[in-house]
Amino acid sequence: MTVLEIDHIDKAFGAHKVLDAMTMEVPEHCVFGFVGQNGAGKTTTMKIALGLLKADHGVVRVCGEKVTYGNSTTNRHVGYLPDVPEFYGYMRPMEYLRLCGEITGLPRSQITARGSELLEMVGLAGVKRRIGGFSRGMKQRMGIAQALLNQPDLVICDEPTSALDPIGRKEVLDILASLRDRTTVVFSTHVLSDVERICDRVAILHRGTIALTGTIAEIKEQHRHHGFVVECATPSDLARLAAAEELGAAGISHTSQGTTMVVTITQTPTGDTRSMATDLAGVTGRNGLTRRPTIPPADPAPTPSPPDQFGGQLLLHALTRLNITPIRFEQMEPTLESLFTEVVR
Amino acid sequence: MRGYLAFLKKELMESTRTYKVFLMLVIFAVFGMMSPLIAKLTPQLIGSVVSAQMASAIPTPTAVDSWTQFYKNVAQMGLVILVIVFSGVLANELTKGTLVNVVTKGLSRALVIAAKLTSMALIWTVSLALAFAMAWIYTSYLFGADELPHLGVAVLLLWIFGLFVLSLLMCAASLSTNNYMILLITGAVLVIGLLAGILPPAYHYNPLSLASQNMPLITGAITLSDIGPAIAITVALTAGLVTGAILIFRRRLL
Repeated sequence: MTVLEIDHIDKAFGAHKVLDAMTMEVPEHCVFGFVGQNGAGKTTTMKIALGLLKADHGVVRVCGEKVTYGNSTTNRHVGYLPDVPEFYGYMRPMEYLRLCGEITGLPRSQITARGSELLEMVGLAGVKRRIGGFSRGMKQRMGIAQALLNQPDLVICDEPTSALDPIGRKEVLDILASLRDRTTVVFSTHVLSDVERICDRVAILHRGTIALTGTIAEIKEQHRHHGFVVECATPSDLARLAAAEELGAAGISHTSQGTTMVVTITQTPTGDTRSMATDLAGVTGRNGLTRRPTIPPADPAPTPSPPDQFGGQLLLHALTRLNITPIRFEQMEPTLESLFTEVVR
Repeated sequence: MRGYLAFLKKELMESTRTYKVFLMLVIFAVFGMMSPLIAKLTPQLIGSVVSAQMASAIPTPTAVDSWTQFYKNVAQMGLVILVIVFSGVLANELTKGTLVNVVTKGLSRALVIAAKLTSMALIWTVSLALAFAMAWIYTSYLFGADELPHLGVAVLLLWIFGLFVLSLLMCAASLSTNNYMILLITGAVLVIGLLAGILPPAYHYNPLSLASQNMPLITGAITLSDIGPAIAITVALTAGLVTGAILIFRRRLL
């Protein structure tokens, strides 16, 4: 089921167009990272979804119900954690939760039970102080507790970690990650490591539209730069590797720095290079030993091998042939950061 | 309904814990107590600075002087303090963003306004009642229990006027998040009323009569029907201002 559905939303502040036919879907039970630069329109999108701002065009649905500006009834499905949550400073944590519970219409007994359970979860149980004296991190945790009080189907968090120290950030992220089974969490951020840490899905907002969306694994797969990082013990080893015949094959390029080489495979193997890999497998090494082919000869009906596998085998061969033992041999993984930079460039 | 009661409870807790209730009660109790005392002590005070002959010309103060002092203090300074104490009732929440949580939890904006008005009206009522009780006790103690007709009606008119001022304040507060702007709008409307008071016949219709014609009413110089239209207009304006405040606040960004 789709919990949050944003359908071609436009929003402009004066002449400044913030959202331009923005479309996004958030499925049930996931932690959804909503990423964008500062000022990309993340908060605007969230406020529209909460009925706190009016969209110029387009429809937002929460649990299948249309969101209206002003008095939105869809908010009963939603828990909201603002970027800098503000509470009544003269209240104690439980008093605040009681106010929230009474407004949402929870029965009295449930307010007390759920309230103390949530305060326990966010580590504020037994805090008798007034909220006015809370630290940023405590307020953020208090914000999570109030957002979860009515057992919402969707929790919207606006940059929940941006103002916190590393410990506070870890605490908040751990709490959000633990919510996956109970509810759906959408959280906006520009801290990509937070997204990688806890999110299943991600959407990158750029120039008013979603530039990229999907599960993190999918996105990484789609944007994989096929390549490897090889680190040799000495620069001379690296030089020998760089001169290797295998690295001269079509579709393979490499750059070296110090003792590290980055090999990029830009093409899937053609018949030529495939056979070359197979041939090379049988090349006699300098020590006179004939290496056994480790790549099986091409199948009668050849299926193209993935470029990674092909390139990796080729490199390993070169290394074995030249008798070089690398300190590090690693397949390149696209980082969310590199993807993000690519998208917003 | 439950949301309204919860928010009203929150408003009263806020007023108590931020000492607004305390401040209002103390100031109004002092006003109530001070008015008869000032009336009683005025001849002595004047007598201490002028000659004995001139002092003897000053008439002996009566209960009427005591109530004159009361309406001067409460209807002027009292209302000013009421407005200042509550000028931030909405602005503080809007600038801090505390209402976002409450509204996204499903409390309608109309109920936010209603609960805030109820809480302010309650505090105004208790404060005025306290001031009146103090003034009544001290007046009867110092001047004897003179039978003054319309004493209750006169204070009731001031009470209605206070509600009018609060709804005016609420309407101004839904327009602006700036405290000074809110005070300015409220003040400007009241000054227009004062200026209208320059034309003598205007008092029949001027809402300000509810806070300025109290003594003439008590002494019998005018009757209640003389300011009947003014009362009707004030009640109508109060209802209009409350509706206006809700309509404006509905369209507001939080």
